[in-house]
Amino acid sequence: MARSARALLTTIGLAAVALVLSSCDTGGLSPIFPEPVSPNGRDIYDTYFYISLVAIVVFVGVESALLWVVLRYRRGKRPAGYVPPQVHGHTGLEIAWTIAPLIIVLSIAAYSFVELQKNFQPITNQEMTVKISGHQFGWNYDYLNGVVVHQEGSLVAEVPPFVVPTNTLVKLQFDADDVIHSWWVPSISGKTDAVPGYDNFSWLKIDRPGKWRGECAELCGSGHAQMQIIVQAMDKPDFDAWMAQQKAATASPSPSPSQ
Amino acid sequence: MATTVLPRPKQYDDTFFKPISLWLTTTDHKLIGIMYMVTSIISFVIGGIFALIIRLQLSQPNLHLVDAETYNQIVSSHGVTMIFFFVTIFVTGIANYMVPLMIGARDMAFPRVNLLGFWLIPVSILLYYCGFLTGGSLNAGWTGYTPLTEKAFNNHSLGVDFWALSIIVWAISGIMASTNFLTTIVALRAPGMRFSRLPLFVWAQISTSILLLIVGAPLAAAMILLEFDRQLGTQFFTTQGRPVLYQHLFWFFGHPEVYVMILPAFGLISEIVPVFARKPIFGYMSMVAALFGIVFLSMTVWAHHMFTVGMNTYVEGFFMLMTMLIAVPTGIKFFNWIATAWWGSVEFTVPMKFVFGFLATFLIGGITGIFLASVPVDTQLHQSYYVVAHLHYVLFGGSVFAILAGVYYWFPKITGRMLNRTLGEWNFWTVFVGFNGTFLIMHTLGLEGMPRRIWTYANPSWATTNMIITISSFLIAFSILLFLINVVNSWRHGEIAGNDPWQGNTLEWATTSPPPPYNFERVPPVRSFMPLRDLRESGEVVEPEPVLTPT
Repeated sequence: MARSARALLTTIGLAAVALVLSSCDTGGLSPIFPEPVSPNGRDIYDTYFYISLVAIVVFVGVESALLWVVLRYRRGKRPAGYVPPQVHGHTGLEIAWTIAPLIIVLSIAAYSFVELQKNFQPITNQEMTVKISGHQFGWNYDYLNGVVVHQEGSLVAEVPPFVVPTNTLVKLQFDADDVIHSWWVPSISGKTDAVPGYDNFSWLKIDRPGKWRGECAELCGSGHAQMQIIVQAMDKPDFDAWMAQQKAATASPSPSPSQ
Repeated sequence: MATTVLPRPKQYDDTFFKPISLWLTTTDHKLIGIMYMVTSIISFVIGGIFALIIRLQLSQPNLHLVDAETYNQIVSSHGVTMIFFFVTIFVTGIANYMVPLMIGARDMAFPRVNLLGFWLIPVSILLYYCGFLTGGSLNAGWTGYTPLTEKAFNNHSLGVDFWALSIIVWAISGIMASTNFLTTIVALRAPGMRFSRLPLFVWAQISTSILLLIVGAPLAAAMILLEFDRQLGTQFFTTQGRPVLYQHLFWFFGHPEVYVMILPAFGLISEIVPVFARKPIFGYMSMVAALFGIVFLSMTVWAHHMFTVGMNTYVEGFFMLMTMLIAVPTGIKFFNWIATAWWGSVEFTVPMKFVFGFLATFLIGGITGIFLASVPVDTQLHQSYYVVAHLHYVLFGGSVFAILAGVYYWFPKITGRMLNRTLGEWNFWTVFVGFNGTFLIMHTLGLEGMPRRIWTYANPSWATTNMIITISSFLIAFSILLFLINVVNSWRHGEIAGNDPWQGNTLEWATTSPPPPYNFERVPPVRSFMPLRDLRESGEVVEPEPVLTPT
């Protein structure tokens, strides 16, 4: 009995240590996704953070109650022949632990719903639109001006980056040529599915130059793992220079009407 | 005061090995229950081997132990085997064995339908694995999303067709079993066994059966439409059709299926806690109400698996709200279990340890479920290793821990012998540590951006975490091996249990272990939801000798 009690304590202790460790940023064991560089991603980050506060309180509270039962009410702690009180229920308590979780989840749902309305509605005030289409196994980024970045999937080589200007509201429209894919760059925002024949959209507004990585998040066949994504944000002048270069490159093999 | 002497039954066959003709033709719900459970444990071992291959392949970046196509088949087979052929089948089997005993019935209402329903399961399992013989099994995950499973993108083998066929047979078997359970419980209760006195495990089986009865048909429908697409050239779910429609149909089954796997587990916990705390269940009525609250809510949440396909935000808000509301009835059950043990005299036998293991880990699965229910947060966590960790906390930390608790609790009734306690303690502690070592840190992989179902990865910063997970998963495998050794060994040589080794509350303990083919010589009177305890406390019951003799 004593031995197993100690073992239980050790296990729960280890789990608690793991949890505490994972609450600090230790690189390998992060308790939250990387801080995003786009405002919609940052709002998701905040939502996750606030739910975590409630979750930790509930977790610690309920696990402590379980631990208390293990330590305090085990038979070894009771006098021989002890008969516990034969309680069949308590209406007040049962109502209390119906109402309390109800209030908690309604608050979380309300907070999430406000965030949902804020960032997940279709936008019309974009400064730029890019059509992203997934295929087996890669992504095409159509800037709607004749320039298309082909991001063919690879596990070994670096894929060409999808380049966007910083501090610009870019609307992303999603489509797929064959099966369902899902576009996900955790450091920017959540994922968006690219379903064939089904309109889907997202947006980003990256606040600093840099490069961020992601992957296809919907099993799409044997090349699923190689559908790497790289997003690169450049300051406006750099971006314009890059775009001019792309246009020149696309213009020579297949001229497209200027828009 | 009248004394009910439970008579020693006539001699019957209680040998470990029974003739194969008996197994093939028996309509005894107990033997059918054992066949369900043994079949499911074989599936558990097969699914576990798939899991170990997955973990070896992911233990380091850029490994090539299996190729991508094989990996996708193994991932899909792991999911299909564990969900359809292990957990659901095991809980059906244990209910098949226990429900008639717990309500004081002699057998199920339709014994031959019961036998047919069982034999459809091996057929379904074999059909699924036939896929491997045609050049490869299902390779699109256990959900089999279209258009990836359509002929245009999946024409190298008949794996998808055999999967769809297998699931249709499985759904028919599930509908048969559910009908049988409901009829049995409504029609065959012993005198005095009112609905208000049904054991909570039986209530859990009622709610599970209602759920499977409602959602089994849409699943079969989705599979039939998929087969039309593949074999007859229709366009229901193809690229030209409505791939998202498939997701709606699949998850209308798929989410309630989670509760088909967890509600019997809730029932098991509700039986075991009062016995070892020596207190009646706290809040019997609210426990029953919570079960039906979950049944209702679970059918209104399916689209929370589809928050990234691009639905109207108000629709998403509805599914988010309903999903979060499930925390309320589940919370009621959780607090009632704790309150049952509170002030109790709690004996931490092996089944009770598994119950507390269940409570400690299932809680984590419930909490991460709230994160996943929040639409904005879900767009980050969806289809990542965070989801994999969450679902294993619910299905392994939840259902499997409860199943193990149930096996340790009811093994003496089923075989007449106790499971070895020392091996049981080892089993519990190794699986508890191995389970948390595997799945607790798996959450962080998802947060760092590792998608699920990827064959391999190039990111070196995921390597250490994946290695720890792989090592821990082998600890789970070791623990399950201990469990299997314990079961096989104790079945033949275990300590004789007697009829009521735990001082149980419910009717199954009122007969011999194992019970005779007709279950009860005379069904004891039922005056509350703890009939056996009433008899024991009033001194009305004198137990007969155990049927088994020590070897």
